[in-house]
Amino acid sequence: MILDDEIKQLMEYLEHSNFVEFEIEREGVKLKLVRRPPGAVDPAPAPAAAVAAAPVAAAPAATPAPAAESPDLHLVRSPIVGTFYRAGAPDAKPFANPGDRVAKGQVLCIVEAMKLMNEIEADCDGEVLEVLVSNGQPVEYGEPLFKIRVSGARPAA
Amino acid sequence: MFRKILIANRGEIALRIIWACRELGIKTVAIYSTADRDSLHVRFADEDICIGPPRNADSYLKIGAVIAAAEITDADAIHPGYGFLAESAHFAEVCEACKIRFIGPSPNVIRLMGDKARARESAVAAGVPVLPGSRGPVQNDAEAQRVAGRIGYPVIAKASAGGGGRGMRIVNGADHLAAALSAARTEAQAAFGVPDVYLEKYLRNPRHIEFQVLGDSFGNVVHLGERECSIQRRHQKILEESPSTALHPKLRRRMADAAMKLARAVGYQNAGTIEFLLDEEGRFYFMEMNTRIQVEHPVTEMVTGIDLIKEQIKIAAGESLGFRQEDIVHTGHSIECRINAEDPETFVPSPGLITTFHLPGGPGVRVDTAAHPECRIPPHYDSMIAKLITRGNNRMEAISRMRRSLEVMVVEGIRTNVTLHRRIVNDPDFIRGNLDTGYLDRLLERKGEAAAAS
Repeated sequence: MILDDEIKQLMEYLEHSNFVEFEIEREGVKLKLVRRPPGAVDPAPAPAAAVAAAPVAAAPAATPAPAAESPDLHLVRSPIVGTFYRAGAPDAKPFANPGDRVAKGQVLCIVEAMKLMNEIEADCDGEVLEVLVSNGQPVEYGEPLFKIRVSGARPAA
Repeated sequence: MFRKILIANRGEIALRIIWACRELGIKTVAIYSTADRDSLHVRFADEDICIGPPRNADSYLKIGAVIAAAEITDADAIHPGYGFLAESAHFAEVCEACKIRFIGPSPNVIRLMGDKARARESAVAAGVPVLPGSRGPVQNDAEAQRVAGRIGYPVIAKASAGGGGRGMRIVNGADHLAAALSAARTEAQAAFGVPDVYLEKYLRNPRHIEFQVLGDSFGNVVHLGERECSIQRRHQKILEESPSTALHPKLRRRMADAAMKLARAVGYQNAGTIEFLLDEEGRFYFMEMNTRIQVEHPVTEMVTGIDLIKEQIKIAAGESLGFRQEDIVHTGHSIECRINAEDPETFVPSPGLITTFHLPGGPGVRVDTAAHPECRIPPHYDSMIAKLITRGNNRMEAISRMRRSLEVMVVEGIRTNVTLHRRIVNDPDFIRGNLDTGYLDRLLERKGEAAAAS
């Protein structure tokens, strides 16, 4: 166990060192200390590419969303406002399920806007870890739809 | 009445519409671009939908995204505010096709008034005076001489296909007409590929006076008096007031009658504004009609007590106007200063983070704004950050309230035109009501001379 006093000591140490980030794992406890300059705001979530051709800088998360917490995790975001559908028809099988391997360009879901069915494609190769929205749910621009573990090249940022 | 209204706009007008909806018990949906995520209209609406990245064409002007947002939130009407899609006949048509009520006039009327030539024809047909001029392009110099002789100098030669000041020549006398026409034709050909030029009477520094009208779906049309909008820079209004110091009751009556004649002739429904040019002899001419709520609508609200946004919503919901012309009582005087994020001398936009933001208050003061301390003014949109509005029992009281309000209006972190407004409300010509569309240029020139002399 790490005691509160030890954490305080570590914080003090960090304060007077040049380290910006400090991580320790001991006896099943993981502690991460990050130092920010005074007045700094929360760092932007890890950049995640949008499905659309829009540059990443112009398409950040629209809602406070889980950022991809490790470099090989990637969020596929909705490029449009509409209604999310996991399958091409009510009785059809979903395009992608957790555990499925998907290839770049493969259709993951449909977002319907103004009666138009827009197929949303994967922008990288990888494994679907999680479907973040439920079938028939409204989604807004930039909303995360799928969490993918990237294999090979990450989508262009 | 509507259950839920989507507001297809941002900034102060989006908030203004939210306030009206709350008073009427209507739910609201805000739409926003990623640049506006932390905006107050997003915070204070009942629901909010991000519709795209900052660029207008990808968000606030993207009809598909706006309609999709209305569909997924089940909104039954859309208020377009001003700017963006407010005067898009196509957008109004798409709303209609999607069974969403567009809060504004019909697509046909928007289209008719959006076409300057057809709008002018409608005014002529309704018996509303327009600036005298040639009927269509002038064919040759002889015809031009005849037309100019009839309407009287100075005249202005304008490219039929024109805009933006190109292909325009002001002609002060018959001797210069042929040369000016030839120059205008050459310029028109070069700029627009069409050499056609027409002639119109040229008014040197007229006043810009507009009339607010309301029409319901039962054919009732009323006017809510005028707004004096002569203080402009490059056709952008900076300060407006109601009533105008230039109108006496008889002239006001004649202009209001003309405005209502045109509104009736085109079957106008909802809130609209008819803009006139007024010359020194009290002659007025139809310029154009704006088929939306206007930025400066608060000065009319302050002197009539009528909430124009609520009226727009009620009219769109099919209700009849709850009052007649004789029920509208004008009292006092109101002034609006548009506070812009811009350099007060160079007029260069000044987006960025507002660090300090202090607003005036007290009797007779109203501020319409979506800005607040620690808010970021994005560079992608209009530079207007607030409208400071005062009302007094008379013009002098409205001016003194505006003066003391401007003195305590503090915006730090970005540059604003507050100092320019302070100059205007202390300027003797302004205080005398000595205004025309050349007023602001003269004021700025004087500043230049003062700076050069020191």
